[in-house]
Amino acid sequence: MKIGGTDEYNSDINVTPMVDVMLVLLIIFMIVTPLLQQGVSVNLPRDMISPDEDGDIAKDTSVIVAIPDNSNFYIGKEQFPIDALGDVIKRRMEGKTPEKRIVYIKSGVDVDYGRVVQAIDTIRKQDIDKIGLVADKKKGVEATN
Amino acid sequence: MGMSTGSTSGDAVPHINVTPLIDVLLVLLIIFMVITPLKPSRFEAKVPAEPKDEPQANVKPNPLTLVVAISKETKGITLNNEAFGDVSDTDKLAGKLREIFKERENNGVFREGTNEVEKTIFIKSPKSVRYGDVVRVIDAAKAAGASPIGLQIDDLAD
Repeated sequence: MKIGGTDEYNSDINVTPMVDVMLVLLIIFMIVTPLLQQGVSVNLPRDMISPDEDGDIAKDTSVIVAIPDNSNFYIGKEQFPIDALGDVIKRRMEGKTPEKRIVYIKSGVDVDYGRVVQAIDTIRKQDIDKIGLVADKKKGVEATN
Repeated sequence: MGMSTGSTSGDAVPHINVTPLIDVLLVLLIIFMVITPLKPSRFEAKVPAEPKDEPQANVKPNPLTLVVAISKETKGITLNNEAFGDVSDTDKLAGKLREIFKERENNGVFREGTNEVEKTIFIKSPKSVRYGDVVRVIDAAKAAGASPIGLQIDDLAD
């Protein structure tokens, strides 16, 4: 006489601890991802058709001027007055090859164009004639060139 | 004898309840799918050098220059002073630019001293226009094939 009872019920794996761990991982990622973002958060232009992808934007060495609103200019997470911006850019640009001499501008969509022009004007005083206007590409659109 | 309770245990296929596992993994997958394509992209624009005080008497105006201007009040777009829609509808501008570039390609209109088709475009906008609107125009011009894109930043109207 065999009692199979225990054998039958043991075939279920207890997934609860695994699910627990997964959920914790998930929460960790949810918290860490926004922290990985460098610089201030800017309401970038979205759903653009034709911007070119540029991996350099995410690099630590590239110079990104962020203009989240009409009153502030940031480089990285630090705020700078417009007069100091030029010197900071100059210092960051030192020793870069001519084709790498590009300053990226991350400006919010509601910022006045005049503020952006002010930033560009400061940038070109450092002998830089290339500007990268950072914009988010619409998903699923292939490059048109 | 004749009492084989083991038959039930033999037939029962052991099964794992994978539903929660799949749920969690799918959520993770979706999160990564959303995060990874955030490859940054940008429009490259050129800025003219700072104007010098000395008069530039010997500079010839280039007849091939295309200037896209945005009007402050109406948010209308003009291409060389001809109206082409407004910032909320850039299709007209893009269509016209495509037409011009195609014509230039067919006629072999080259940039001076090179064998590239002249596709330079200048963007001019008053200072009080939203940056988002300017970028929309740049996007339309770029999509139409304009390159390089120059930003006029001197002597802008408020």
